[in-house]
Amino acid sequence: MEEKQIKYKTEETIATEGEWPVGDYKYKAWKHHEEFKEGLKEKKIVGSICSGCGRVYVPPAYICGRCFRWMEERTIVSDRGIITSFVLSNPMKKGMKILGMDPVDMGIVADGEVLIPCMVKFDGSDSFVQTILLNVDPKDAKVGMRVQVVWAKEPKGQLSDIEGVEPIK
Amino acid sequence: MQRKIAIVGYAQTHHEADPPNTREGMVFEVAKGALDKAGITREAIDTVINVSSDYQDGRTISNLFLVMAEGAYLKDESKVEMDGAFGVLYAMMRILSGTHDTAMVVGVTQGSIFSPHQISFYTLDPTFDRQIGLLNDVAAAAIQARMYKNKYDVSDEQIAMVSVKNLVNATSNPYAHRRIPKPTVKKVLNSKLYCDPIRELNISPISDGACALILASEEKAKEITDAPVWVKGVGNCQDSYLRDRNLLKLESLETAAKKAYKMAGVKDPPTELDVAEVTERFSHEELMIYEALGLCREGKGKILIETGVTERKGQTPVNPSGGALGADPVLATGLVRIVEAAKQIRGEAGKYQIQGVRQALAHGQTGLCAQSNIVFILGGER
Amino acid sequence: MMRRNVAIIGCGQTKHGRLRNVNTAEMISEAAWNAMEDAKVTPDEVEAIVVGNMQGFGGIYDTELWAGELFGAPKPFLRITTGGTTGGSVAHGGYYSVASGLHDVVLAVAWEKHSDSKERGATTGLAHVAMANMFHDLQQGASLKWLVSLVTGAAIGVSAFQASCYMYRSGCKVEHLDMVAAKDRRNAAKNEYAHLRWPNCTPEDIAKTEWVSYPLRFGHVCPASDGASAVVFAEEKIAKKKAERPAWIKSVAAYADEPNWLGENSQGTAITDLSEQLECIISAKEAYRRAGIKDPRKEIDMAEIYQPFPHQELMFSERLDLFDDGKAWIALEEGQTEIDGSMPLDPSGGVISTNAIGSSAMQRVLECALQIMGKAGKHQVPKDVKNAVAHGWGGSVNFTTVAVLGDSPRR
Repeated sequence: MEEKQIKYKTEETIATEGEWPVGDYKYKAWKHHEEFKEGLKEKKIVGSICSGCGRVYVPPAYICGRCFRWMEERTIVSDRGIITSFVLSNPMKKGMKILGMDPVDMGIVADGEVLIPCMVKFDGSDSFVQTILLNVDPKDAKVGMRVQVVWAKEPKGQLSDIEGVEPIK
Repeated sequence: MQRKIAIVGYAQTHHEADPPNTREGMVFEVAKGALDKAGITREAIDTVINVSSDYQDGRTISNLFLVMAEGAYLKDESKVEMDGAFGVLYAMMRILSGTHDTAMVVGVTQGSIFSPHQISFYTLDPTFDRQIGLLNDVAAAAIQARMYKNKYDVSDEQIAMVSVKNLVNATSNPYAHRRIPKPTVKKVLNSKLYCDPIRELNISPISDGACALILASEEKAKEITDAPVWVKGVGNCQDSYLRDRNLLKLESLETAAKKAYKMAGVKDPPTELDVAEVTERFSHEELMIYEALGLCREGKGKILIETGVTERKGQTPVNPSGGALGADPVLATGLVRIVEAAKQIRGEAGKYQIQGVRQALAHGQTGLCAQSNIVFILGGER
Repeated sequence: MMRRNVAIIGCGQTKHGRLRNVNTAEMISEAAWNAMEDAKVTPDEVEAIVVGNMQGFGGIYDTELWAGELFGAPKPFLRITTGGTTGGSVAHGGYYSVASGLHDVVLAVAWEKHSDSKERGATTGLAHVAMANMFHDLQQGASLKWLVSLVTGAAIGVSAFQASCYMYRSGCKVEHLDMVAAKDRRNAAKNEYAHLRWPNCTPEDIAKTEWVSYPLRFGHVCPASDGASAVVFAEEKIAKKKAERPAWIKSVAAYADEPNWLGENSQGTAITDLSEQLECIISAKEAYRRAGIKDPRKEIDMAEIYQPFPHQELMFSERLDLFDDGKAWIALEEGQTEIDGSMPLDPSGGVISTNAIGSSAMQRVLECALQIMGKAGKHQVPKDVKNAVAHGWGGSVNFTTVAVLGDSPRR
């Protein structure tokens, strides 16, 4: 074994380099997001509703585990709701590498911006959608805050049509 | 055993290469199917055991997103990450302990997500064998096959006869994946060579499939069904690592079988077993399995296959369903073997029903060259 | 039917930390052998072995296929892996193996070797819980900003959001999280096997650490440890022969809830309060009922709670019915949960001090057993421990393992 492959030695062991990339996976999914995205194109939020318990799942789910049945029906919920949870990131800085990208440099976030990932329960839904809280001072973010969706100017039928949510003024 | 336990319901998917169904969908299908077969609802199940693999599914905690689909919502549940038959053992333990009276075991693997042969690579010794990059499950099996052939003078033709038997049987099984119209020894010997002497038709196919079964204690079983399939005995054992064990004999299977026979009171397997459903990932493995199960002496597996003893019409039919060579949904395969054995006892095996089955054996395995084995002895009412 | 009584007759651990001087096989064997020695059993007397770890983290599939011979193979093995609850599930598996009557002496061993993974802090395996969902979402046109916000704000995953939910529900403040973290780091200093040990840690020390993402600070977060832990279960007659004070398993329960954080491929789930934890409430009720415990607040003497994040110690102590919903922080302020308090929580330092994921939930059972057996050394609680509850959580915080242990068999 070449010397440079030996990372370091202790009294009892040596540590060597090795890489085993696990490989390419081929996942299979339902078309729940297809349905969801079709709704987003029209600024509508689609959920599935269980004919047994009446619970509304957003984004749509196919199996209600409580009633143990398939959910055939769909419904539209409001694009207004409440924050049920949020966290604050540290301020973004230029040069910070996230997954190999520099988000400030790429213009994805502003320098010094604090990101607020949050959970939103839309009126009429029994589940949450995970998105970003926008247009609010991080100090003012609160669980229970009433918010509404910030829609993309021209929804294309993709998840980013929901740019985030902002407080209802 | 402290309590009598019976299989009271079951279901399996049609096993295929890459059907347009998610693992969630398959799990829901078999869980619901098993409940419908037993004629009970989800509320009657006390505990659920999931059998699935993180590496195969590409999801750490592979049972996380399957809770709802397998009917485990607000139920006492757990997961076994070995062949499905081991999951049945754990479910049995939960009922035997007295804490639960009914259990559902659901196993699923979609081999199309990630090749099980690649997964086998990760079971190798990481400090040495894996670094060399030559071994995987097929290569290891090829080494074992060659040792076995040399020691007992077994020919490729004799090994191919196992493939032919099981593939012919599979054509009668609507759930089987591989349904080749007229399997012959010649077709097997002409199939693509993987790792001499192992060819494509000597290896089980990579299937997407799921299987579920429901266990119940004696009292509950009698309430649920008129045709309970009793678990008369079980035994399991795991060998040492590939390079440290005797590859010429499936020693852990022999140990497991002996335990199961003892518990079930089976003294002479060839005459007392009416049918056996075993997991043969490679056709030569089935010959070694005959020997480990005590159906014949060491090295004499070839005689059983040549004389037709293990054919459907033979004295001890083995794998009338087609076995793993017919369909191999990886972790669900052992569960399928148990279900197929139960079907034989209940007379529900349709075109591949063996006549007069009162006692059956089911076998599952995990690990390179059948390193870990489990044997169930099932019996009907009489 | 007559139920078999099962007890833990021996415990064994390795020191937990960044273990670069052993490979996985050696690490598991060390814990297994320590447990067998403590139990005064030879490998031949052990009839079966139950194992578990989170396979994705160490890059070895079914480690015991390779390593088993070092601590028992050939022998019947059973592998149980359920995420964070793995160690607890393995312990339950060991219990059921003996309670079933199929075996009389069973070894249960659980481990994790995070440092073999290239990614720091075990993110490789943890990310894989959500990774399949994230790949899916990105292909559905999720924005890069969303991805960045998740990776920076919710790097620790669902627990960060859960802390936010819990603080809203209970009224507890970040200061209480500081207090829990400090207490547990002080306790860990008394535990020679723990990873992060800080003898005189104060809440102010914790408050000085930087935010990972509000409301969680670096001082609140568990380490990624390497380590293995093992216990030996035995049926009643053997237990009474082998151990002076066996730790009896009075009951186990492990209920599952709907995934708390979206379903497969990000389907919706009908959960909005991550701190509700129905599965823990039900597991506790069932475990107490099966154990014959009628009033846990009077009958349970201490608890080992699975708390990689401090709010979980408060939250789960409430769900385990040791305090009223939303009131655990008051007990904390009053010192009730200190190692010498009336309801000591995590005298071992808990998961926040030592987190070898596969092993962590087993350690909760092991630590309760040590306390009952009187073998917890410097972190032995000063009161008499007649009953203890060991807890674990896993999944997207929708799995639970609860075990009630006692100093006498259930009758």
